[in-house]
Amino acid sequence: MIALKGVAKAYDGVLALDHVDLKVERGEFRVVVGASGSGKTTLLKTINRLIDPDAGVVEIDGRPVLEGPAPLLRRRIGYVFQGVGLFPHLSVGENIAVTPKLLGWAPAKTAAQVEEMLDLVDLPRDFAARRPDAFSGGQRQRVGLARALAARPEVVLMDEPFGALDAVTRDVLGRAYRDLHDKLGLTSVMITHDMMEALLLADRIAVMRKGRIVGEGEPADFLKGGMDAYVQALVETPRRQAAAVAALSETAARPRERGA
Amino acid sequence: MSAPFAAALRLLPDYLGWHVALSASALLLGLILSAPLAVLSARDARVRWPVLAVAGLIQTIPSLALLALFYPLLLGLSALTKAALGVGFPALGFLPSLLALTLYSMLPMLRNGVAGLTGVDPAVSEAAKGVGMTDRQRLWRVEAPLAAPVAMAGVRTAAVWVIGTATLATPVGQTSLGDYIFSGLQTENWTLVLFGCAAAAILAFATDQLLGLIETGLARRDRRRVLIGLVALFAGVLAALTPLAVGAAKPKGYVIGAKNFSEQYILADVMADRLRQGGASVALKNDLGSVIAFRALAANDIDAYVDYSGTLWTTVLGRSDTPPRAVLLQQMAEALKARYGVVTLGPLGFENAYALAMKRSLAQRLGVHSIADLAAHAPELTLGSDLEFLSRIEWRALQSAYGLKFRAERQFQPTFMYKAIEDGEVDVISAFSSDGRIAADDLVVLTDPKGAIPPYDAVILIAPKRAGDGRLKAALQPLIGRIDVQAMRKANLSVDQETDKRSPEAAAKTLEAALGL
Repeated sequence: MIALKGVAKAYDGVLALDHVDLKVERGEFRVVVGASGSGKTTLLKTINRLIDPDAGVVEIDGRPVLEGPAPLLRRRIGYVFQGVGLFPHLSVGENIAVTPKLLGWAPAKTAAQVEEMLDLVDLPRDFAARRPDAFSGGQRQRVGLARALAARPEVVLMDEPFGALDAVTRDVLGRAYRDLHDKLGLTSVMITHDMMEALLLADRIAVMRKGRIVGEGEPADFLKGGMDAYVQALVETPRRQAAAVAALSETAARPRERGA
Repeated sequence: MSAPFAAALRLLPDYLGWHVALSASALLLGLILSAPLAVLSARDARVRWPVLAVAGLIQTIPSLALLALFYPLLLGLSALTKAALGVGFPALGFLPSLLALTLYSMLPMLRNGVAGLTGVDPAVSEAAKGVGMTDRQRLWRVEAPLAAPVAMAGVRTAAVWVIGTATLATPVGQTSLGDYIFSGLQTENWTLVLFGCAAAAILAFATDQLLGLIETGLARRDRRRVLIGLVALFAGVLAALTPLAVGAAKPKGYVIGAKNFSEQYILADVMADRLRQGGASVALKNDLGSVIAFRALAANDIDAYVDYSGTLWTTVLGRSDTPPRAVLLQQMAEALKARYGVVTLGPLGFENAYALAMKRSLAQRLGVHSIADLAAHAPELTLGSDLEFLSRIEWRALQSAYGLKFRAERQFQPTFMYKAIEDGEVDVISAFSSDGRIAADDLVVLTDPKGAIPPYDAVILIAPKRAGDGRLKAALQPLIGRIDVQAMRKANLSVDQETDKRSPEAAAKTLEAALGL
């Protein structure tokens, strides 16, 4: 579905992307993990041409993304990012309707789609008439998701979409999106710096460091070990935390058992 | 209602109409130019610096100077287009005022426009790209609406500046609310000055409030406010322009010019009155700068006005010799006709020469009767002059003929010059020999034994295109040789005096009656 072939991009002589190859299959939920400066955001933006690479090719369904005008490409691809970027001068409904309108959908079809999208992301329909500035971070990102999905894209790109949210909201939204991904048959590429999030949501994970992919596989592969030392270290933290939490819950459970 | 107030009110439709026409077109033109420049500047820092620097530089030019500078510039351009295309355009009046005010309006619009656009949250701009907007859609659907409230605040500032500064269009020959202020200042008619200030202030305030309504409407995304503001502004401009449109529908008549002092206003009114009695329609163009008045006549922007032989001889023709009075008049008329096609109808009968005057008491104490006597005392005395005297040939001629050197030289608006000598702030002033205040303030005019100052016969000049206009000549001919200096001083004093002050219009009527016209 999505293929990056030898994609390179340099900023001031420093390679942000060092000839990267990556394949994402149709229907796959791909998570790219990396620290800041690893090149993961640059990689994501080459797919919807927010950044054009210096070398290499990005293809969707076998066709180079550079073929047509960038705005037309972007209207076919959902895009969600940490900044959310809701248009503050438009209502929630108008925000969600923005891409369908750019595509010239009939007003009735657009209006019906806005309601469907609000249902989909679990927001009340009467939110449509309100301005986005009144909402919480989690609600805003739900609107952001609705906007990204409104034009029924097959591909969704997400750049640390839940990074600014508190842990609980983040978990809830992450799982909600995973459900949507499956239900709508999307192909998703999500960027995160959080290996735990990647392990819990992804079909496949790619780890990036200094502009290169240094480890790739299914979540289970990562837990098995035997990968690059850097990747191993990344996996170690969630594993240790999980073990510690498990141990804690065990000790917390024991006295109660005794008392019973 | 007092008489001066009623008189001021009668002039309001014309003055306000022009003021609004000028300010509104300058702001509109400024907006049309600033908007794309602001967008370019916001997108590209390499454009931003020079654009804002130039706009800032223009703002540092004193506004009156900016208005005045467009006159020679347009005059040159007009000469070029006339040579190249056969058509010139007026270098005086609306055009220079419009261009200067437009430039003046651009800095706040540009600054706020750029601030508004660069202040848009980068996340929102990225989202606009991400959802598939083209650059143009991003600008119009997202960035422009978000920048609008800040940009609108710039438009408000520009509007207040422009409406205030438009009062300075009067000296370059554009009717505006400044006509009240300039002629009021000249004739010490403070009602007129206050009226002009208040009218401009109210206009600026009302405009600011309506633009403010639009600004808050944009900020709160309240379409109703924006609409009300726009409709009210549009209606206001339309209402102000209606009297002008009605006036423009009337047949175009004669334009009589006047420089910026009482005698000129009175004589212009006399000439206008003569023409009106002959059934012609007449417009007045008051408060023209001394040299600008002649240029305007030569360029056919005005049809007739009164100037003085000495001024024309030295300033316009650039002569420094002083032949006898009759010879000078004749040679001047020939030279003006040959060089500019301007017709000298003839002298009115009085002189308004530059003269040095001082208080009688001081003159007696120092034993000064002539400028030659004055030269010995000058180093202890202060000279007060009008705004142009010190840069005129006559002053240089006086200096070289008598070796005059004062302790200090100070420049005043003529009205304040008389105040200054009365209060003893200055000891000697550059007076005009026909000024009624010489006798009224008990000043003595010092004689010029060496004849350094040329004669200053008041003459009526007629524009080249009216050279063969029998009606104009017939109407003005009866004035030639009829006005003596006593009659003129009396008329001038009636306008300049502090008590029982007359309007120039009323003084003109009295003068005409005294002449039996």
